[in-house]
Amino acid sequence: MRDVIEQIINTTFGWGWPGWAISLIGYLIVAAILFLIAPFQMLFLTLFERRAIARMQDRVGPNRVGPEGAWQPLADGVKIFTKEDIVPDSADRWVHLIAPCVVVAPTMFMFAVVPWGPGMVPVDMNIGLLFFFAISSVSAVGLMMAGWASNNKFALIGAMRAVAQMVSYEIPAVLSLLSIVLITGSLSLVDLIAYQGGLFISSSDVAGVPDLGLGWFIFTPVGFLAFIAFFIAALAEGERTPFDIPEADSEIVAGYMTEYSGMKFGLFYLAQYVLNFLLCAITSVIFFGGWQGPGVGWLYAQAITPANPGGGWIFNVLAGALGVFYFLAKTYGFFFVMVWIRGAYPRLRIDQLMDFGWKFLIPLTLVNIFGATIWVALTKWGAAEGLAIVEGWSPMLRWAVAFVVTLALNLGAYLFLARIFAESQAERLRVDDEVLERLTNVA
Amino acid sequence: MDLLIQIIFGLLTALIIGAAMMVVTVRNIIHAALWLIASFFGVAALYLLLEAEFIAVVQVLVYIGAISILILFAIMLTRHISGEGERLLTRHWWAAAVVALGLFGAVLLPTLAGNAWGIPLPTGPAGTPEPLSGVEELGRGFVSEFLLHFEVAGVLLTVALIGAIVIAFEERSRRRRVLTLAEEHTLNQRQKASAERAAAAADMAD
Repeated sequence: MRDVIEQIINTTFGWGWPGWAISLIGYLIVAAILFLIAPFQMLFLTLFERRAIARMQDRVGPNRVGPEGAWQPLADGVKIFTKEDIVPDSADRWVHLIAPCVVVAPTMFMFAVVPWGPGMVPVDMNIGLLFFFAISSVSAVGLMMAGWASNNKFALIGAMRAVAQMVSYEIPAVLSLLSIVLITGSLSLVDLIAYQGGLFISSSDVAGVPDLGLGWFIFTPVGFLAFIAFFIAALAEGERTPFDIPEADSEIVAGYMTEYSGMKFGLFYLAQYVLNFLLCAITSVIFFGGWQGPGVGWLYAQAITPANPGGGWIFNVLAGALGVFYFLAKTYGFFFVMVWIRGAYPRLRIDQLMDFGWKFLIPLTLVNIFGATIWVALTKWGAAEGLAIVEGWSPMLRWAVAFVVTLALNLGAYLFLARIFAESQAERLRVDDEVLERLTNVA
Repeated sequence: MDLLIQIIFGLLTALIIGAAMMVVTVRNIIHAALWLIASFFGVAALYLLLEAEFIAVVQVLVYIGAISILILFAIMLTRHISGEGERLLTRHWWAAAVVALGLFGAVLLPTLAGNAWGIPLPTGPAGTPEPLSGVEELGRGFVSEFLLHFEVAGVLLTVALIGAIVIAFEERSRRRRVLTLAEEHTLNQRQKASAERAAAAADMAD
């Protein structure tokens, strides 16, 4: 990107601008593109969700505006823009105004590290994954501001619920990602994707596997457990059913959004859908290889890259298009799963939510980290690290042993924890029952 | 480029100091907490300017994502302190000011006196320099050079965690139990059933 702009400005026009100005222009262009993409994702996803959920509930959904209701989101946008902006009298004006911005801004920041295709990442930070989750935790501050500034009990309760849920489920999400980071040894999202070449076996674990771009983490026991834990945590973080407790409309109106109207409400809505899109995107990047897929690696090898300056530009376009196609297909697939879960499950109670997060997911992800260390030891270590036994085995055998050991560990941990969790829930019900009996003197 | 960095640095320090001043001068305690968050953000940006990406991100994750949320939670869950009208200054504010200024001076003066100003820019080998604050270096430091500090901090955090759980359990045992709607419903049903049984028993007795 930078090279192209430098070429145009300094060579074609001959203006001789300094390097930092060209970098700045490059970043501005990329940022502008991303800022345009985000609202369009939201427009598409709202329509997609409404149509899909309608189909699951045996309805038709919005289909009047445009072909198959395609312009419905635009109509909604016009409606939301023309609504009156109401600020309650006793609200804290400034905090009430800033809160939606504080919620939307982090979701836009998070786009900065998401790789869309081979060589198509706005900023390749070496701590991209950490950046993503650090920034996402900022929006909790915005929710808190919204809930407090509205000066409304429902809003405050909703904000408290939202933040408690976000903070609790950030832990299993980050712990499950930690096991993946242990395996790849990098926090960069680009490296994470590069690791996932191969065919059901990552070619970084076993050299010589044909690279069809299918060496995803989901095909390993460690990655599979991490994926399940992460996706559940992502549902909670994106406030999707069954974790939509913060805006449970049958209990607390609309949670922290209760006192918002017009475009401010629209901003919360936008932030939520963009966040959902990003969570789906990051799931596909980490566990399903992002843009990796059959053909992309081969096409990108022919393209013009710093490593291969003599390639053909047509391959850049083809590899980019195919990579973005795979990436978006996976991402929308996950969004469909989110909608599907919304159509299938009722809402959890707050104590069930907390119990599930703290007593089940966190221990499970901790065991998974242990599994990841075993995986690393069996596939990568040698005599230098004190594991001389595995030195003589072939890479394939080492991979197979690691697979079996981690599978046994994870399966055992899952069954054990599931039993304990079920017992503790039964015990809790029994205790509640006893309390009721004591209160009423009735058996 | 240097000029650009200096302008950015100036803006950031203005943000940090301005926000910090607001923290101690606004009357509303929630506003103070929000200004504190703005100040934390400025510090994170300052780290980013120093190319310490990891520290900057951890600053956002820990200070904004965890500590300020904790502060906000604590304020909102505690009654009577989120309102306005509290006095900002006590009668002995000047004594506090003298102590604070003295301590600040004790930190600042040796730095100002002992610093060699006008150091020439480092001229290292060409290419990208080695990252100083990378994740790997920090991780290696934690498990080798600073192992004891790391372990002590871990034990401290665990103790705090256990303490929080103990406090929560004590609180729970003292709390009056409030029935949920579902529980009230079962309660009603049970009472009705037992009343019917009693009536039936009375009928039998007749």
